[in-house]
Amino acid sequence: MVDGKNQSLFKEKPIKILLAKPGIDGHDRGVFVLAKAFRDAGMEVLYAGLLPTPEEVVDTAVNEDVDVVALSLLNGAHMTVFKKVADLMRERNIDDIALVGGGTIPDEDKPALESMGITGNYGPGTPLAVIIDHVTSRATESRLRKLR
Amino acid sequence: MIEADINALIEGILRSDRRSIARAISYAEGANREIKKEMLALLYNHTGRSQVVGITGPPGIGKSTLIGNVASLMSDMGYNVAILAIDASSPYTGGSLLGNRIRMQEALNEKKIFMRSLANRGARGGLSESSIGSTAILDAAGFDIVFVETVGAGQADLDVMDLADTTILVLGPGLGDQVQAIKAGIMEIADLFVINKMDRDDSYFAMKDIEDTLAMDDARPFTRKVVGTTVKDMESYRGLIDLIKLHGEYLKESGKIGEKRFRMGIQWMIEDELRNRIIEPIMSKIPANSRNKNYYSIIESIGEFFSETMQEIKEDKII
Repeated sequence: MVDGKNQSLFKEKPIKILLAKPGIDGHDRGVFVLAKAFRDAGMEVLYAGLLPTPEEVVDTAVNEDVDVVALSLLNGAHMTVFKKVADLMRERNIDDIALVGGGTIPDEDKPALESMGITGNYGPGTPLAVIIDHVTSRATESRLRKLR
Repeated sequence: MIEADINALIEGILRSDRRSIARAISYAEGANREIKKEMLALLYNHTGRSQVVGITGPPGIGKSTLIGNVASLMSDMGYNVAILAIDASSPYTGGSLLGNRIRMQEALNEKKIFMRSLANRGARGGLSESSIGSTAILDAAGFDIVFVETVGAGQADLDVMDLADTTILVLGPGLGDQVQAIKAGIMEIADLFVINKMDRDDSYFAMKDIEDTLAMDDARPFTRKVVGTTVKDMESYRGLIDLIKLHGEYLKESGKIGEKRFRMGIQWMIEDELRNRIIEPIMSKIPANSRNKNYYSIIESIGEFFSETMQEIKEDKII
């Protein structure tokens, strides 16, 4: 983060983030904790509700013109479902919305997710400040792309 | 942003392309006043076709759920529906939890309805500043019906009356007696009233209080009406849809669609100019540590600040 510069990028239009648990996973306690944390970090936070399909997540992200989509899964299906979201974004030529991930994601899956452009991939116990910093830096990239 | 881009964006909006609409609303929300003004100036010529339906009422009364269900039914009936929903921003951090979408997600997914959440960013009155431009964008994009959901509203949150062609106040059981129902403010601005949660105890008392109030209305060009709804009976929403259509026909006959919105768009431009050219330059002349200064002397010199600022504008030093 560059002092002042990045702040002004979001000063009048805060970071907008969509939290989503695509696929079959109803464990949304963690998502609510994050939603409140992002709100308190000054972001505008959306939650896609339970059980959206990857298509619905991408549609929502586009209609709401968010900066970041944060995907969460605790059911082990991240390699299929996260990938589907990333594929849809690529198919639709969406390069100004960043994808970040989180949940119970084994270390060995992380490089593959990173290569799809899904970064972060934080597990339980990660300090909220680490997640917020990461989201902010990814949002900065998206916002600069949107301003092209 | 160069002019060609704005033209491409406008062309996209007029084609009703979702990504163009979404990006345009981001500009309407954004900090770049030049893009915002240029875009809206070009778009306003294409507005005045949608029936903008403002939905207001206290927090938790069921506005979002109601919009989701009504929008879904109207979409089935062949209407092209869009939704703008405004939620509150934090006065401390500026953050916001845009929770309206959750209540209508199912309807949105199934019917591919365009819905956008806006944070009010500290605006009072139940709307956000961006809602004016955003409504114009959706109107120009050719939606038949644009629902605008206010932030959970109180008695003096009346801005929606200037934005909406049809203003609907959603109330429920247990919110007050007959005196509440004849109070000035929000009770006066609604064209239609909804008593939501009709499955609950006391809802018929709420209905009766509103009916009594409406019976006391002076003669109006459109006779105001009240209807009951509940999520437990999807058919209950049809009564509301009939009333929305009835008011739409009245608006069409009277030629009043979009009239107030057009004025509001102009007023917003004027206020924006005033704020940027006059109010902010004057504010910047007030000394930083003014708490230590004599309040009376600062107030006295505001006239001077004003004259100075007007002189600077004349000499083209500001904007």
